[in-house]
Amino acid sequence: MAQISFKLNGVARTVTVDNIETPLLWVLRDLLGLTGTKYGCGVEICGACTVLVNGQPEKSCDESIGEVAGKSVMTIEALNSDPLGAKLQAAWLQHQVPQCGFCQSGMLMAAYGRLKAGESRASTASGLSNICQCGTFQRVKEAILSLPGVA
Amino acid sequence: MRDTAQDDSLVLDRRSFIGGAAAAFLMPVSLGLTASPAAAATGVGAYIRIDADNTVTLITGQTEMGQGIGSGLAQIMAEELMLDWAQVRFEHAPVNPAVYGLPGWGLQLTGGSTSTMMWYTPLRTASAKAAWRLRAAAALTFGGTQAQWSLVVGGKLRHATYGEKTFASVLGKIASTSDPASVSFAGTKRIVGQGVRRLDLAGKVNGTAKFGTDVMLPGMVFASVVHCPTITGTVKSCPTSAAGALAVVNLGNAVGVVASNTWAAMRIANSLQSKVTWTLPADLSLLDSAALASKAQALQAAAKPANLQVFETAGTPGAGTGKLDAIYKTPFLAHACMEVLNATVQVTKTNGVVSKVELWLPTQGQSFIAATVRSVAGLANLTDAQIKVNSMLCGGGFGRKIEQDYVLQAVKLAVAVGKPVKLTWSRPQDFKNDKYRPYASMRVRMGGDANGITGLVYRNVSASITFQQGTNPEDTGAVAGAVKLPYAIPNRRIEFAPLPTAIPLGYWRSVGESYNTFAVESAIDELAMALGQDPIAYRLRMLTADARATKALQTLKNSPNYTAMPTMRRGVAFLRGFNSYVALALEIALDSASRIKVTKAHYVVDCGVVINPNAVEAQMQGGLVHGIYSALYNRVSFVNGVPQVQNFSNYRVLTPRDMPKVTVDILQGDPATAMPGGIGEAGVPCVAPALAAAWHRMSGTRVRELPFHPGATMSDD
Repeated sequence: MAQISFKLNGVARTVTVDNIETPLLWVLRDLLGLTGTKYGCGVEICGACTVLVNGQPEKSCDESIGEVAGKSVMTIEALNSDPLGAKLQAAWLQHQVPQCGFCQSGMLMAAYGRLKAGESRASTASGLSNICQCGTFQRVKEAILSLPGVA
Repeated sequence: MRDTAQDDSLVLDRRSFIGGAAAAFLMPVSLGLTASPAAAATGVGAYIRIDADNTVTLITGQTEMGQGIGSGLAQIMAEELMLDWAQVRFEHAPVNPAVYGLPGWGLQLTGGSTSTMMWYTPLRTASAKAAWRLRAAAALTFGGTQAQWSLVVGGKLRHATYGEKTFASVLGKIASTSDPASVSFAGTKRIVGQGVRRLDLAGKVNGTAKFGTDVMLPGMVFASVVHCPTITGTVKSCPTSAAGALAVVNLGNAVGVVASNTWAAMRIANSLQSKVTWTLPADLSLLDSAALASKAQALQAAAKPANLQVFETAGTPGAGTGKLDAIYKTPFLAHACMEVLNATVQVTKTNGVVSKVELWLPTQGQSFIAATVRSVAGLANLTDAQIKVNSMLCGGGFGRKIEQDYVLQAVKLAVAVGKPVKLTWSRPQDFKNDKYRPYASMRVRMGGDANGITGLVYRNVSASITFQQGTNPEDTGAVAGAVKLPYAIPNRRIEFAPLPTAIPLGYWRSVGESYNTFAVESAIDELAMALGQDPIAYRLRMLTADARATKALQTLKNSPNYTAMPTMRRGVAFLRGFNSYVALALEIALDSASRIKVTKAHYVVDCGVVINPNAVEAQMQGGLVHGIYSALYNRVSFVNGVPQVQNFSNYRVLTPRDMPKVTVDILQGDPATAMPGGIGEAGVPCVAPALAAAWHRMSGTRVRELPFHPGATMSDD
């Protein structure tokens, strides 16, 4: 058993895990019940599990909870707490991006992380590597490119 | 969408309900159903619920798995009830095939692009009846006659004397009204035909949407499974415990591991694979792609293969200056839904005997779940009322979630551990234990001249889904896309020879058309090229009997999006299927790794009555993506029964950077038919033949076997 403390969506949290190798993804989902972050592949390819760790987009399926100690984690559930995140969500609605929606938490967090770090809309739209099996990519790009007030 | 479980408790005591006795009258007339006493007592059986706040909810048996069906069907309801779109909701229905099953099939399932086609008239009728009876209820509630009350946009009723009243305010009298003898439809196209925003988006951008995999129950434990490395192998013996596991359960076709979290369950399950003694399937040659391909080749050469089925019998290869004798091949494919297979099950016991099984899961096959539950030891006598199914949002389906394998495992696990269990397959297990799109070999022999094809002999040799299920003596699905072609070809012989295999097969988005359309449209394109004919003009010459087909292809030919594509990098294909018409042109180039990439695509779609043009466009965009990654990169090969696929690492799919610009022209369907066609699958079949056509023009080489780039991985850019 180990206790790990980190900041989750702005709130200090301490979790008790029996294995510090447990990926952040499963701590979020199974232990904390934050199910907006999804399991897609488990090997850092598909991006469905993308969250921000210290402001950087990370695939939470391969980020052990031990590595997260002392860091700050942001998940889809807090995306609207930042005006840029809320703007991104509004653009997603406006362009009717999601189909099944399963990949969209990760897609949004990956896009948000890039934009937040100052990457341009065009570079963000063409640089995302998240998988979406419904094929929503055109609308993902259109939504990002439409963002008002973003370079 | 609302959370159904929460809603139920609120609803029964305080808000009005179109349900109960009224449910009978809201049933589609085409079903000829009457309400059962049980349905009347519980209110189950209604399609439309009106809440005290005047929101109106469609309760649908069709599964929302991304295609937008919940919203599309709700549009049909909203049109007839003159609702404001902001007051409309939808919910997944409980399992009751007699009420919620597809009107054409009587089965509660989602597949075959049938949902809108089959529900359009019954749901319009039910909604129009509801509108009529709300007016009658208004008369009973406030005065005047039924005819004096009219509907006003926004879920309201108006009377010259009594003014405007909400639907909610008259529901107390709805049970005292009766069904009209006939109904007329609103037909204003105020909501139907508009690209209104689908209703399930908010939760899909803020993480609150509940997919099957997101179900959490008090006291829940987490499980995963490991199957035999050789597909269809079974457990001979397995460990009864493992370090870190709460339980290890022999599930027959797999070993289940229950743990305190999903990651631990997956990890332990994976580590057990080598510790299990497996019983291997008897004949591995039936599970080997190379052996199957050889058998298919032999069946193509045989004069009369075993169990040959002939669908159109008049054919000879035909005379003419153009001749073609070619075999096209398409591989086994996986479904690869973003949401892996999962199911959550809670078993309740009364006096030591199971009295209830409740399931929460993503499913396209509600009709089959009760039988799955009853097949588990000790559960055979459960009644329908003792089996409760909560259909969650599906994170992709594509046909895979109609199957019952994962459902059966989850029920067995819940029985074994006596706690609520969420079973989640790992991605590798999901890939390696799919019900695969069948391998198909298609021989096309045809002759023709500049005016068209004079004769066609076609033989599909493929692993037959229905043969494997033992349910259907004639596999019409295996030749879908090859029979009833729209082209006026004077004589045709269409054959199907089943390829014996033990590889588990299933329905994969667009099913028979996903391979037959590749062969048929490729062959037509090859003949046109050989004869020096324009591929669209050549098809148009053979479309003498189908005005809608002609219009779709003519529209493509005239589109600036089409003419702007360079002819040497452009390919075309056409589909009449799913009661819709799809013409596709795409433009290709080579990527930095010298692989084909699609740079532009233009669809022309006639899907009859358009419910939501935005949804049609989305399905074409998605169908293109599905078609591209399947045709370019993927196959699932089996070596003596071991599937050679691991994860997305060696099952390459697309990402935003690969997305070409897609444009979609939606034609207004023939008003004479006035019925919607299917769109969920229709975008897929044309992609592979259009790619082959474009590549032939670009390279001089015709690709007749998919995929174009076998062995491509996600990381080799």
